[in-house]
Amino acid sequence: MEVSTSLNHSTPADAKDVSLTASVWQDVLAQAITGELIAASNYASLAEICVDEAEKEDALEHASGERGHAAAFAAEGRKLGVNVVDNVEAQYWKRLRDAFLRCIAEKDSIGCLIIQEVMLESFAVASYERIGQVAPGTIGKTFTAIAAEERDHIQHAMSILRADRARDVKRFDDKVHALHLDVMTTLAEMLAREDKNGHCQLCHGSCIKPSLPSVGLTTAVLRGVSLRQYLKVLDLLGLPGEMTLKWVTRLPV
Amino acid sequence: MAIDFALIAHQESWRAAADVLAVLRGPDRAPIPDDEIKDIFPWIPPRAVCHIDHRSVLGHSVHGVYIDSFIPPDRLGFEHRRDNIGRVRDAAACAIKAGARIVSLGGFSSILIEGDSDLLPEKGETVFTTGNTLTVAFIVQGVKKVCALKGRNLSDATLVIVGATGDVGSGCARCLGPLVNRVVLNARNIDRLRSLAEELSASGTAVDIATDLQQLSVQADIVICVASLESPSLLLGRLGPNAIVCDAGYPKNLSPDGVLEGCTVFFGGLGQSLGGMSFEPDVHRVLHRHPFPNVGQGCVMEGMVLALEGRFEPFSQGRGFITPERVQEIETIAARHGIHLAPLYNAQGPLEEVTCETEGLAHERQIAGAGRAV
Repeated sequence: MEVSTSLNHSTPADAKDVSLTASVWQDVLAQAITGELIAASNYASLAEICVDEAEKEDALEHASGERGHAAAFAAEGRKLGVNVVDNVEAQYWKRLRDAFLRCIAEKDSIGCLIIQEVMLESFAVASYERIGQVAPGTIGKTFTAIAAEERDHIQHAMSILRADRARDVKRFDDKVHALHLDVMTTLAEMLAREDKNGHCQLCHGSCIKPSLPSVGLTTAVLRGVSLRQYLKVLDLLGLPGEMTLKWVTRLPV
Repeated sequence: MAIDFALIAHQESWRAAADVLAVLRGPDRAPIPDDEIKDIFPWIPPRAVCHIDHRSVLGHSVHGVYIDSFIPPDRLGFEHRRDNIGRVRDAAACAIKAGARIVSLGGFSSILIEGDSDLLPEKGETVFTTGNTLTVAFIVQGVKKVCALKGRNLSDATLVIVGATGDVGSGCARCLGPLVNRVVLNARNIDRLRSLAEELSASGTAVDIATDLQQLSVQADIVICVASLESPSLLLGRLGPNAIVCDAGYPKNLSPDGVLEGCTVFFGGLGQSLGGMSFEPDVHRVLHRHPFPNVGQGCVMEGMVLALEGRFEPFSQGRGFITPERVQEIETIAARHGIHLAPLYNAQGPLEEVTCETEGLAHERQIAGAGRAV
């Protein structure tokens, strides 16, 4: 039985209210588009270090898919009549991209999959699903549809990662932990109640976080669903739940 | 390491929840602010929090895990029942995956097998017990002990059981009913009350029933509170002079605002292991928030007792099957491994003095009349 935590569960905004909250959706879409462009870059980089031709094709296909997601989100912005920016140099996204590039530099394809499929996709799937529940009209439908596609990515990577863990459990778990300290710390800071590192360089004005409740979202819910999804994916990989719980509770708040 | 037992439970207050997270977070990190804990806690999926070694006084030990269902302490009400059952079910799946041979269900968790055992996930070799029989044993022992300390005669007493139709309440009624002058059964469901009253009357016990605690027709000399309440909110009605009140609810039943002048209140249903328990990470003081070492709820201790005995069986299952014979059986097994009634205490502190020796063996020195009135 799936736990359907209903805390802060909100009702979808009415379409007629969209104009009132357009500036909020503008920034939500900016984060989503940038995240998708980072993912596209990550898969393109992964393709460069793939030895196996089939894996390389897969990575390029994923890169193309992520660009398609970015385009779909951009289209939603145009429908809203707002100018949605993207900025892959924005501080948090740049840190996430740099972490991925360090794995690329070491030709560590497993590390790349852990970052992209386990960590970033957990964040994307869970937050998109939640946004899809509250976003009005086609924005909600787009987030929900893309969440489903991202979930498929995770499934695709699981068999590769499980097989790698089976070869050397300690080495694999140590690697996940090291990447967790880097990547999940960045994501946790990004989803913290306040931006302790200053402006995220994506919001078009001041920080969007205090305005999220006006569209039925909160950073607490987005962080909560993302970390829960992450813990469940780690469970599926076979990492001990008590160990991963400690990791997550030690993240910045 | 093989897992002999698992305990599934949840925290009864936000303070306790915060303390669990603080231990997991480690001493090198600042505690999570209280308001953020309420944001974080509800999203944590059920999982093992610590490993436990429990030693028998016979010399052997068993190894287990504590699994927290992470039910938020303010979401124990009926409106959250579906979510909470899902959480307990997920926690049960964790216990099964860990290979636990027996699982005790503490607090709200026992609902999983008190009613419909179909709620359990596929369980393979793992067996589940509510642990309620050992809880009843410790409640009954506690009531008898306080009566002895206070010079009260059970046979003259009117006993009121709040939450009487629950598994623990009905077990207490069957054990103490024959020993007291009169039993008053209190619960919300009138049909269940009548059914239990008929059962007790048939065996010669004088029984009254009451759905409204404030409308009791008689004064209570002894009260056992075992209702399933979301928070400590119970206000007792008519109490006799120097009444004895056992609060064995989880969360506690009695409202801190309730005036119980002249009464002796104690927290019941608790056992103490003389062999000792160790926790990794060390959350002992967080999970067992008692003024004495190695103390735990009877319900969670039952699984450890059965594991120490090598009896991996669903000792307590369903609702309304706890009999004096079963209570005696589990307390005999518990005693064999050095698990006895815990020293008595209440919110103000211990009701008796206890000394501990270095080997972890506790020797109680009961002080007759030392119980502080609340």
